[in-house]
Amino acid sequence: MRTSLLVCLGWCALVAQGFAQAPPPGAAVSGGGGGDYRSSTAEGGADRLFDVNSDSVDMENGSMQWKGKTFNLGNSRAMRMRFERYLSAPAAGGDMLKYQQLLQRIERLLSPGTINNSNYIANQQEAFNLLFQAAEFEVDGNNSLTIATQVQKIWNMRAEFRSLEVSKNQLEVIRKNQETVIVNRAEKIESANDERSSQPGKAGQPTLAKSSSGTTELGFRVKDEQRTQAEILARNAEMTALGLKAQVEFQSQMVGFLLARRYRHCIISSAFYRVLFKSGNQNIRVGAKEVKEFFPVSDFVPTLESIDTLAREAMTDVTLGMKTVDDLVKQGELYGAFERLQETYFLGEFEPSVMMYDQTKKRDMLELWRDLRELQRLGDEHDLANVEGYVNKVRGRARDFPGAAILSKVNNAINASNMAVLSAKQAALAGDTAKAEAALERATKIWPQNPAVKDFANQVVSRQDTLAQKIPEFDRMVSEAKWRDIFNKKLEFALALAQDKVRSDKLRQVVNRIGELDANIQKAQVLASQNNPYLAWDVIVETSRAEPDDLVLAKTRSDIAPLVADYARVIGVAEKLEKDGGEAAALTAWLQAQDLNPASPACGAAIKRLAGSLAQGAPAKATAAAPTPPAAGASGDEVAVPPRR
Amino acid sequence: MSKINPLVFALGIPFVVIAVLLVVVVGRTGGKFTNLSPFSLKSYRQDWTALQGNSYRLDCKVEQQLAFLEGKGRLLVVSPIVDRDKEMDKANLGRLPVFVPADSTQSFEVGQRFKFKVRLNRDLLLVEDLERF
Repeated sequence: MRTSLLVCLGWCALVAQGFAQAPPPGAAVSGGGGGDYRSSTAEGGADRLFDVNSDSVDMENGSMQWKGKTFNLGNSRAMRMRFERYLSAPAAGGDMLKYQQLLQRIERLLSPGTINNSNYIANQQEAFNLLFQAAEFEVDGNNSLTIATQVQKIWNMRAEFRSLEVSKNQLEVIRKNQETVIVNRAEKIESANDERSSQPGKAGQPTLAKSSSGTTELGFRVKDEQRTQAEILARNAEMTALGLKAQVEFQSQMVGFLLARRYRHCIISSAFYRVLFKSGNQNIRVGAKEVKEFFPVSDFVPTLESIDTLAREAMTDVTLGMKTVDDLVKQGELYGAFERLQETYFLGEFEPSVMMYDQTKKRDMLELWRDLRELQRLGDEHDLANVEGYVNKVRGRARDFPGAAILSKVNNAINASNMAVLSAKQAALAGDTAKAEAALERATKIWPQNPAVKDFANQVVSRQDTLAQKIPEFDRMVSEAKWRDIFNKKLEFALALAQDKVRSDKLRQVVNRIGELDANIQKAQVLASQNNPYLAWDVIVETSRAEPDDLVLAKTRSDIAPLVADYARVIGVAEKLEKDGGEAAALTAWLQAQDLNPASPACGAAIKRLAGSLAQGAPAKATAAAPTPPAAGASGDEVAVPPRR
Repeated sequence: MSKINPLVFALGIPFVVIAVLLVVVVGRTGGKFTNLSPFSLKSYRQDWTALQGNSYRLDCKVEQQLAFLEGKGRLLVVSPIVDRDKEMDKANLGRLPVFVPADSTQSFEVGQRFKFKVRLNRDLLLVEDLERF
């Protein structure tokens, strides 16, 4: 919309500029082909009036914009097929140069600078004859024959016109004679009557009445004269109609050639018309409205020169377009060449330079055209995954193809689709089915073949089955305290138990528990790897109290145990002694362990704990009882442990 | 001028030296609780139940005071003084807790050496008498 507005504004400015720089009316404007045309329009500023940038081909609507005028090229499918047929067809045969020279010669024979009274007939005839030669060329498409037929018709019409003229002249002579006879007869009757009325009558008798003899004949004579007059008028009308008909037919054919983009034939028709018709019939009666559309100037009067100008302008554009195409192909810019060829083809598909274009180059563009169509199809179907491949393929053919912008848009679309799928998953996990459906629909609309959408759909479909299987499995594992197994299947359980709050909480606890356990195991492994096995052992021992059945922990413990055999043995003794009530002996063992691992928090804690306990339980006074040496037999292994203090 | 017989010097000086050495050696190795058996940490660790109720002499150095309860006593961590050159005594290296009841007025500092007369009250070494050296 904004572009259209800018174009309109640009046109207004250009129109004003065109008028400002236009030559005065009546100034000579040199045309191609040796013609010398005069124009009463502002065509001197035509180039500035035309918005060349608006030239474009609209495949969707089957139309083409040229100089602000829309050419209807048929429906889009037929248009595509025609262009594809052109690309795949071999170049038109024949001697192009000879054909063009032939047409130029016809133009020259009929041009105002060449034709005069002496060669008026001869030139027409020679040009007429050359039309048949031109029609023999393949590129002509027998359109020269159509012009020849039209010219022949005008000539026939002229003969008929002459015949009518003769007939009319004869009728006029007859009418003159009839008129003379009538006048004669009328005068005789009038004089006879005058004579009778002038003679004096006898006494007592009235004068003679007027005579009526001869009036009947006079009546018939008058009737004959009127009949002749009517016939003359009829002849006149017939001649006028005949001329008008010929004029209209010829102009129709001429405008038809222009709109069919047969510019050369249009120019030749125009030249014949100019010669065949009087200057009073040079105004455009047919297609005036269409021609006016090319010249967006108010009060513009279309003339033959207007049509001539348009045809020559189009031919120049086609020639320039084909040169551009060839140059772009040479530079390897096939995409640009393809676009220019497309525009040029639809502007002048019947121009010799277009029809004779090299077939090898056309084949290259045909391949590019097919790839572009496939790329467009992929885009229409939102098959984003394959677009990149085709963009690269097209880039391989045409290095100037603007693929980066396409890929950028494709990537954005892929990301948007994936984000929508993610949103759908989150909504589904949260139990918001409506939101999940909407997000999924959005993702599918952007990228219908998104694999993530398919995966998600499969997950949703199998979810009910999964629920039916996972809940009993979870309950069984909980009852068997298989925390590690639950942890390993946490994602599956999380999905399956999302709607079950109690089990979800339980799962969360298990995951946290095993997560903490794994963190401690990892901590122990790191300490062991840092040559600090005693501290690692402390961590293992401490963790083992909470998780005595975990296999991973047990394996880590068995891995570290050989490194701390003495320390582990002492701690084991200490724990056993403490358990058996020998707190002081246990404290001694803990002190021994601390000697091995001074930084051990476990040892420190045990020593502190036992010290307090021992101090509390110790007697306030030492008994002065005489020491009793131990009995020899009491030093065996099986000594009864005294009761706890 | 009376002259001291040189023989007196020849016999007297070695005698005095020997006497001094005897006093020093006897003073260090002997002293209190010489009648008690030395405490064996190794035996205690192996099986304290076999030692309970017995009294022993424990030559040790104070390492740490673990607990102190007013009116009750203190729990010390001591390390037995052993001859590190002797293979047998190496087994007695280490630390062990001893409880000093509150009736002892002795002060204890880390690093001080004591001779303890200890009795195994169940598995706890109870200090009944002591001497600093």
